[in-house]
Amino acid sequence: MLRKGWLLLLLGLLLAFPPVASATGLEFYMGLLTKIMIFALAASSLNLILGYGGMVSFGHAAYFGVGAYTVAILTREGLTSAWVIWPVALALCALLAFLIGAISLRTRGVYFIMITLAFAQMIYFVVVSFKQYGGEDGLRARRPEFGLFELNDTTLYYLTLGVLAACLYGLYRLVGSRFGRVLQAIRENESRTAALGYPVYYFQLLAFVLAGTLAGLAGVLMAHYTQYASPNLLAWQQSGHLMMMVILGGVGQFWGGVLGAVVLSLVEEVLQDLTIHWQLGVGVILLLVVLFAPKGLAGLWRRRKGL
Amino acid sequence: MSLLVLEGLSKQFGGLAAVNNCHLQVEAGQIHALIGPNGAGKTTLINLISGALPPTRGRIYFDGQEITSLPQHRRVRLGLARTFQITNLYKNYTVLENLELAVQARLGSSFRFWQPVSRERGLREEAEKVSELLGLSARNHTPVAQLSHGEQRQLEVGLALACQPKLLLLDEPMAGLGLEESERMVELIARLGQSLSILLIEHDMNAVFRLSARISVLVYGQVIASGPPEEIRANPEVHKAYLGDEGGAL
Repeated sequence: MLRKGWLLLLLGLLLAFPPVASATGLEFYMGLLTKIMIFALAASSLNLILGYGGMVSFGHAAYFGVGAYTVAILTREGLTSAWVIWPVALALCALLAFLIGAISLRTRGVYFIMITLAFAQMIYFVVVSFKQYGGEDGLRARRPEFGLFELNDTTLYYLTLGVLAACLYGLYRLVGSRFGRVLQAIRENESRTAALGYPVYYFQLLAFVLAGTLAGLAGVLMAHYTQYASPNLLAWQQSGHLMMMVILGGVGQFWGGVLGAVVLSLVEEVLQDLTIHWQLGVGVILLLVVLFAPKGLAGLWRRRKGL
Repeated sequence: MSLLVLEGLSKQFGGLAAVNNCHLQVEAGQIHALIGPNGAGKTTLINLISGALPPTRGRIYFDGQEITSLPQHRRVRLGLARTFQITNLYKNYTVLENLELAVQARLGSSFRFWQPVSRERGLREEAEKVSELLGLSARNHTPVAQLSHGEQRQLEVGLALACQPKLLLLDEPMAGLGLEESERMVELIARLGQSLSILLIEHDMNAVFRLSARISVLVYGQVIASGPPEEIRANPEVHKAYLGDEGGAL
């Protein structure tokens, strides 16, 4: 865990950024930061099950995409209130994660990876096959009404920052709680944890549902950000993208998801400007991290054994 | 009624009957040893009793209640705790962290998501007590991977002990131990046997005959004899089926 003072300073800088950005004509960076924070939430949710739970889910895009599509479809059907759209999207993602998790968690190892991937691909093809919802072109996602404030680029920035901060704090409490400790114990040694009297399956399933719901929340924010639900959000490449963030940032390190999202997004942004072969550069960086920093960037950072 | 009763218990792995129509009764308040040659099905039997594997046929009763189809975690709650033949610990955790996990399973719900578990005094104190009983207090903050094999075997027993079982299932606790370490383990088991019921699987005949009030012999997945040590020692069936060239050991 970073020191509290540094965190508050970072939070202060992030809070102060929008007025500074609009005064200096750097609005583009406010959008970029919003996008990075959304990915930080999605990657952190994956890190909960992949890093802390040892469940290598290769289908995390399913919840991310379903969250975004729920916003797009509901606003298209005429719903405008965020107070309806958000709960529906989250409940849908939780239900989806419950169904997928309940089946997938009966398998282990490479089978678990394949079955989560297969479920996510099924959802991708189902969504793409609905022509009235845009098919492969995706669907416009209007910004809903919150009542308290109007959702524009600036309020979305603050909304995303607030949601991310709240979720990270919740996750921080979670991994240090009784539940979090058992989840990590299962990762360390499943048969022993079962022999101590823990119902392993239910711990894993609950973490899986929680991670899916948070990824759905990130998807909702993504739909608000781009005002568009793209099939790309559901595709397996997106699952891989989130996984790359977690590995880059640090599997099972508290700040792994956040760091990975920040660094990968910035690297992509910079390399994309320089060369059309930017993906090669991303690959090299990932390779170097895996070889020389198996605990990711957060692992390099960390000095003492905290979380 | 006996503490543990197995009725016609069988476990089939494909064409192989690892446990075959096994009948066994374990009484409360004593150490009951289960011996048998390699491959007799002893560890499979422990897996069936603890609930790690479902039986193909037969019934299991524990403490007057049928537990045949009860999941493993419910059996631990009822008071059945096991150790593993091959040391099975949280290697990256310290001794106390290992024990705290065992204590946490017993004390209160673990579906708690907010309060830091590191501040729970109760868990720490209970874990320290078990560690003291094992004689590992000096090693409380040592990661398990840095313990000697003997200490790891002690902790293996300790984790089951921290579950506060009514019946302790020990799967070859002496496996791989040197003379001195074995002696310490025998002392520990003898001490535990004063207040606990124990089902002990062990290859070390010396230890078995010193510790047990009752011995059962498992051959090809069946109990062929059960009785006090003198009776087992004198049983010609046992000599023929199990001891053979090893007969001198008795």
